[in-house]
Amino acid sequence: MGFTKVTPKVVLAEVRPGQEVLARRGAMLASSGEIAFSPVVGGPGGGAYGGGIAASLARGMQGEAVPLMVAEGNGSVHYGFRGHHVTVIDLDGSHPMSVEADRLLAHDANMSSSVVFLGQQGGLRGAVRGAVTGQGLFTTQLSGRGSVAVLSHGGTFALRVGGSQQIVVDPQAYVAHVGNLRLDVATALSWRDAVGRGSGEGVQLKVSGEGTVYVQASEEKL
Amino acid sequence: MVSTSPQPLDPSTLPDHDNVPDNPYAYCVRLNGPLFMQTGRMIAYYPVGGGTIRFEPLTATSMTAMVASHFSSPLYSRDWVVANGQGHVILGDRGYDINSYDLDDGNLTVRAANLLAFDAGLELKESIIPGFLTLLGTGKFLASSSGPVIFVEPPVRVDPEALVGWADCPAPSQHFDAGWMGHFLGAARGAVFGTRSGEERQYDFTGAGTVLLQSSERMLEDPHVVRRLEGEVNQLGTGQLRHLAGVIQSRLSQNG
Repeated sequence: MGFTKVTPKVVLAEVRPGQEVLARRGAMLASSGEIAFSPVVGGPGGGAYGGGIAASLARGMQGEAVPLMVAEGNGSVHYGFRGHHVTVIDLDGSHPMSVEADRLLAHDANMSSSVVFLGQQGGLRGAVRGAVTGQGLFTTQLSGRGSVAVLSHGGTFALRVGGSQQIVVDPQAYVAHVGNLRLDVATALSWRDAVGRGSGEGVQLKVSGEGTVYVQASEEKL
Repeated sequence: MVSTSPQPLDPSTLPDHDNVPDNPYAYCVRLNGPLFMQTGRMIAYYPVGGGTIRFEPLTATSMTAMVASHFSSPLYSRDWVVANGQGHVILGDRGYDINSYDLDDGNLTVRAANLLAFDAGLELKESIIPGFLTLLGTGKFLASSSGPVIFVEPPVRVDPEALVGWADCPAPSQHFDAGWMGHFLGAARGAVFGTRSGEERQYDFTGAGTVLLQSSERMLEDPHVVRRLEGEVNQLGTGQLRHLAGVIQSRLSQNG
């Protein structure tokens, strides 16, 4: 289980029966052993095809924007995507992780994933956040124990939030978060001046609560 | 299996003035005193104990006199802010490597797009070479490079895209490859536009000093090039303007 880092931009996943791996389509670089790939199509309009585990996984995924492939069998698979940095995050299962669907490279298939409408998490505030940060209105939530590989520009690092330690993050640099966190969109004149390379970037994400926020080392979107 | 998951950082574990652990592409600065920063390079900040960090544009700062004496470039003033307050600020730049440099009563010229921040011990001026900024004085600054920086000593000829900056040596002159020059002199004058491949032009450094190189530069569309050209267009007469319009037209039709 889990992913091994091959280079900063490539990870290796061991696949065994009962330890399938889900990854975004087009992320498979190489595979060895007896590995079968099948697409997972979720969403209200699309049904699952491919059968087996793909069918059961698809039931949990409604409205997923990024098409996924499941790798099953016995062997190993190299994953990478468009030369982006890959960071592996291990989750102990105590809290789900919220990650933008675009940034999700691969994860253990035994983790349950659901697509959350941001409006459900924080009412109108959440919906506004999705709209202004360009994340879209849906975010992927992964729960359970396992490993997740996320994509970024320049690598991802973790910042702890808790107590009086509030942090302010550039929405373009936000990757994911774990824990009981509240992400508020706030506009600040000073922030707009500090980050605004173009128009429409005058927003900041104020992160409060208890948890960890993952941030990439660049202001560029994927 | 050893966990590869990044360990969460917080103000007690973040460095005061260093790269973020295990990430050469992000740099953390603990503010003490004003810090000049280029816009678009900040990723996150932790204010100390519920305080705030203020980012003031140079054009609307409360420290006008300080800014005016340290930032002597109207061309770039729109793209810089002064950060002030208590806490950690994390910077990143396009996934480039970020390094801190110390100047001790020195001078160093660096590509404007690659300069991220400098402290108030340094003074910034525009270099004679377009697109480069010169720092003078004693203090620290942050600069990015595509891949680690390579230090070389003159005499050396450098591809303009690979040049990050130079210190202590005279400003470079432009060098054109002899073969290309011969071809250029033999060809019709009007045909010069569009015949450059990019390799024939180099910067020629001589004298004593250090030249900083990077592996290559993914060229951003530099807004300053346009601003500088706009400023110079005012000096042209009608005939020259018409000629320029023709040149721009032919470039557009080539690219389109």
